[in-house]
Amino acid sequence: MKRMKRRELIFKVITYTLIFLLLFPLVVLVVWSFTKNWPWPNIIPREFGLRGIKYVFGPSSKSLKILLFSLWLSSVVTIVTLLISIPAAKALGVYDFKGRRIFKMLVLAPVIVPSVAVSMGIHVTFIRLGLANTFLGVVLVHLIPCIPYGIRILTNVFEIIGESMEMQARVLGANPVKAFLYITLPLISPGLVSAGSLIFIVSFSQYFLTFLIGGGKIITFPMLMFPYIQSGDRMMASMYSVVFIVSSLIFLVIMEKTVKTYYKAENYFYI
Amino acid sequence: MYKWLKPYVLLLPAMMVILGIFIFGLAMGLIQSFGYFPVVGLNKITLKYYREVLTDKTFLSSLGFSFYISLISSIMSVVIGVLLAYSIVQSESKKGIEKVIYKLPIIVPHAVAALLVYNILSQSGILARILYSFGIIGDQSEFPSLIFDKKGIGVILAYIWKAIPFTTMVVYTVLSNINDRLLEVALNLGADRRQVFWYVLLPLIMPSIFSCFIIIFAFSFGAFEVPYLLGPTSPKALPVKAYIEYNNPDLTHRPYSMVINMSLTFISVILVWLYHKSFKLISRYDG
Repeated sequence: MKRMKRRELIFKVITYTLIFLLLFPLVVLVVWSFTKNWPWPNIIPREFGLRGIKYVFGPSSKSLKILLFSLWLSSVVTIVTLLISIPAAKALGVYDFKGRRIFKMLVLAPVIVPSVAVSMGIHVTFIRLGLANTFLGVVLVHLIPCIPYGIRILTNVFEIIGESMEMQARVLGANPVKAFLYITLPLISPGLVSAGSLIFIVSFSQYFLTFLIGGGKIITFPMLMFPYIQSGDRMMASMYSVVFIVSSLIFLVIMEKTVKTYYKAENYFYI
Repeated sequence: MYKWLKPYVLLLPAMMVILGIFIFGLAMGLIQSFGYFPVVGLNKITLKYYREVLTDKTFLSSLGFSFYISLISSIMSVVIGVLLAYSIVQSESKKGIEKVIYKLPIIVPHAVAALLVYNILSQSGILARILYSFGIIGDQSEFPSLIFDKKGIGVILAYIWKAIPFTTMVVYTVLSNINDRLLEVALNLGADRRQVFWYVLLPLIMPSIFSCFIIIFAFSFGAFEVPYLLGPTSPKALPVKAYIEYNNPDLTHRPYSMVINMSLTFISVILVWLYHKSFKLISRYDG
């Protein structure tokens, strides 16, 4: 019994040490963002200040507008990706058909193949089609890193729920649209939340794709943040990062809450 | 009627995006890498660019650097990630906050991860300040340069910081779903805790460990932000090198950057192939 206690203690120490190491940098980030003066070799700042947050949210600053625009762009990407992923995931999760493995490999491939290579390859074509430097072009190119996550998660969901529930509704006289809206959609809604959150994160943190395809015309929050990080302006860079992290957290919580209240998503049927 | 068509119709929108952007983009890159880029008057298909790039010393050292960074990052992330997942399972407190809070780095973009490393490891960073206050170093300049360094320590740490929670999340899910009876049987038959871990748990989580490894490796091999922000001026990581070539105002220079891109893609694809091969080998443990 005593041995067990010691074992548990060791693992507790390991757990908390590792979690501390993961979170400590974030604490430093928050401290930096509210710092006014932090000269070497002080371990805590000499003076705290609100210059960073005043600058980001000040009346002359475009940051808030760009933040909202960025949230809007990533929401569009999330919705489009989900709309594309739901049918694809159903096909891969429920049906058995010729070429299923190849399709699955193709839709998951963008996780492995660097998007740097894809975006540089497509850039000239996008310019020629008038898609470069436009909202639509950036949304389209964001779909590439997002689709694998959407399809992967939703395929797992469809593998678990199968088609029987929807069939049942059809047999009882529901048309396909109704069967989808009232049966399938509520069933997959928890999966939609996790897929949606991940897709949103991937799109919202995208820097290179937006930078290349947006061509400086479409400016998202990470692009605003990047020069500060690059120049080593720690206070401003940290403030932008904190705003970024907090806004994505808020957005994810709101998304989860909305879906949950709408579907009262108690998942009776799986997991 | 046409029931067999249904899955293909359902896959159509996804395939339009994948084929129209992803595959098409790669194909365009491939064609340009062979020197076919009519927009700027390059019409001849040639292997010249491949020959030049693949024998170039700076390319080879970049390739080596990228490979080294990805390998170290993915091995360390996987090892520490599994350790954390196992420790959380073993020290299970009822509704522990530790099950949620470690996931925070997942929503942090890589550029910010680079900033975190910069805040802590630069010569005026918090670690140097702590060492100074303990009298271990007497001056900023005595702190070793861990960022922009040729060993890529800053880059590796940024990737590890991002990837540990990812591995932990995946492995934790698998570990907490493993039937306890399996462990009890092993313990009853006289295995000690260590043997249970090595001979029962590890084989069960091996497939997830493998896929995490591949995903982390591929990402750190092909991503631009972290080595751009924290990497040394030379050797540059491959994606950074590709971008610099791409940015060359002389457009007839494009094929060089496409050759680098194709090398990145080729190595990633080989990796996935190896993954499937080895997956067959280890999947005898599965199920």
